[in-house]
Amino acid sequence: MTPRGARLTAGVLVAVAVVFIGLPIVAVFLRVSPTGLIDGLRSETAQQALLLSLKTTLVALSVTVLVGTPVAYVLARSSFPGRDLVTTLLELPLVMPPAVAGIALLSAFGARGTIGGPLGLEIPFTTAAVVIAQVFVSSPFYLRQAQAAFAALDPRMLEAARASGASPTRGFVRIAIPLAAGGLVTGGVLAWARALGEFGATLIFAGSFPAVTQTAPLAIYGALDSDTNAALALSAVLVVVSFAVLVGVKLVTRRWTANS
Amino acid sequence: MSRRNSRALATLAAFSIAAVFAGCGDTTSSNAGGSTATGGDLRVLAASSLRAAFPAIADAFANVNSGVKVTFEFAGSDELATQLEEGAKADVFAAASTKYPDKLAGEGKVAAPVAFATNTLVAATPAGSSKVTDLQGLSASGVKLVIGAVGVPVGDYTRKVLPALDASLGTGWSDAVLKNVVSEEQSVKSIVAKLEGGDADAGFVYVTDVKAAGGKLTSITIPSEAKPTATYPIAVVSSSGAKDLAQKWVDFVLSADGQRILVDAGFGVAPTT
Repeated sequence: MTPRGARLTAGVLVAVAVVFIGLPIVAVFLRVSPTGLIDGLRSETAQQALLLSLKTTLVALSVTVLVGTPVAYVLARSSFPGRDLVTTLLELPLVMPPAVAGIALLSAFGARGTIGGPLGLEIPFTTAAVVIAQVFVSSPFYLRQAQAAFAALDPRMLEAARASGASPTRGFVRIAIPLAAGGLVTGGVLAWARALGEFGATLIFAGSFPAVTQTAPLAIYGALDSDTNAALALSAVLVVVSFAVLVGVKLVTRRWTANS
Repeated sequence: MSRRNSRALATLAAFSIAAVFAGCGDTTSSNAGGSTATGGDLRVLAASSLRAAFPAIADAFANVNSGVKVTFEFAGSDELATQLEEGAKADVFAAASTKYPDKLAGEGKVAAPVAFATNTLVAATPAGSSKVTDLQGLSASGVKLVIGAVGVPVGDYTRKVLPALDASLGTGWSDAVLKNVVSEEQSVKSIVAKLEGGDADAGFVYVTDVKAAGGKLTSITIPSEAKPTATYPIAVVSSSGAKDLAQKWVDFVLSADGQRILVDAGFGVAPTT
């Protein structure tokens, strides 16, 4: 192929890709009038769902970051038998169909589940179940990024901290976390976005009830036939949020790359 | 071409391949998945509660119409109606409520619907669970009840039948029952799943669902004065490319053979109009 032919082909392919991805996204906004969007957002269904989504995803993110950060550090900076196996296991929800995640959670924590049964747990149908589903499917996004960020640290920095008498915990908190901050923030934002979009596992594990378990994606599904405006309005909000998340991640990545 | 460019090109190639594949099928039917009837194929959209009976009818149908392949999509009737509204390609629509077929018929999207069966709403509990044993028990505090969402036929029936029971079970009974709802499901099959797993204590489903669950559920009958019986209509889709065959399927469902299979699954015989 001549250089010119290659450029032309590339141009056509770019156009195809932009239309393929861009058209459905734009179409969400074309489908409903601005007043319809506002009416939809004012509906109780939409407001309850957005508020619940906000609350549950923030709790899920906090749990992921608090537990995930030390775990990612250990997986990145120490070696022990079975480390790769543990890493792979923790990444599994990333590639697992969400419905499978829902059934897996029910099998473990449901009323007749592996530990739900013997312990008499009553988790399904509660907001806690929503958070559990979100942590299950979204934490790998954080772990992966955090692990990569910690693995990329210059070992000399950490050795210097140790040599100057800092405890391992202090080295982790004062040196490793600030140095890996770019990767941690990116991972956190991606995990939060995944939690926000969580649908299948929540539907199966937590059920769907307004203000308790019906997050924005579930409300979209539920309102699709009965309250189309609310469904479209919620979809539009999630599109805007997704866009903001991507832009945010790009800005963060650029800033931290420029700093280091 | 630089290495970076060639990698970008590979990514784009992958995108365009996906786009081409998406274009190969009929894009309007992509949400319904699968293709429309051509030659000996028939695509039937049917309410979730027909999941057991319709494939059995298809087997019998194939015996008398050799070479015909019937494919099904089972989902909540409301969801299927939305798909038809959006132009999904299908030949027959069988719903668990007259609401959606009537609406679609009014818009000319399906032919006049014909009632082909009835089904009866029951309260169901996980087999072996003693938390709820009668209708009165549904209103006790702490009972975890799962019902269909508003707009889903089974959910609409439930909301219609419950207040009708207040007369015999006490004023306020239905309100107390509705307060026990912990989840509003989009199809009857997800209610069944939450009961079978033992996570919910009770739910409102059809008698055919309890039968199909094969011993995993116990049913509590609803007295007939609350009118728990639902009519199931069937209609040929107007945009079908195989209307003759679609009509044959409808006729077969209404025939003695079809009705026998439906009755075996727990359905009531089609009401004569």
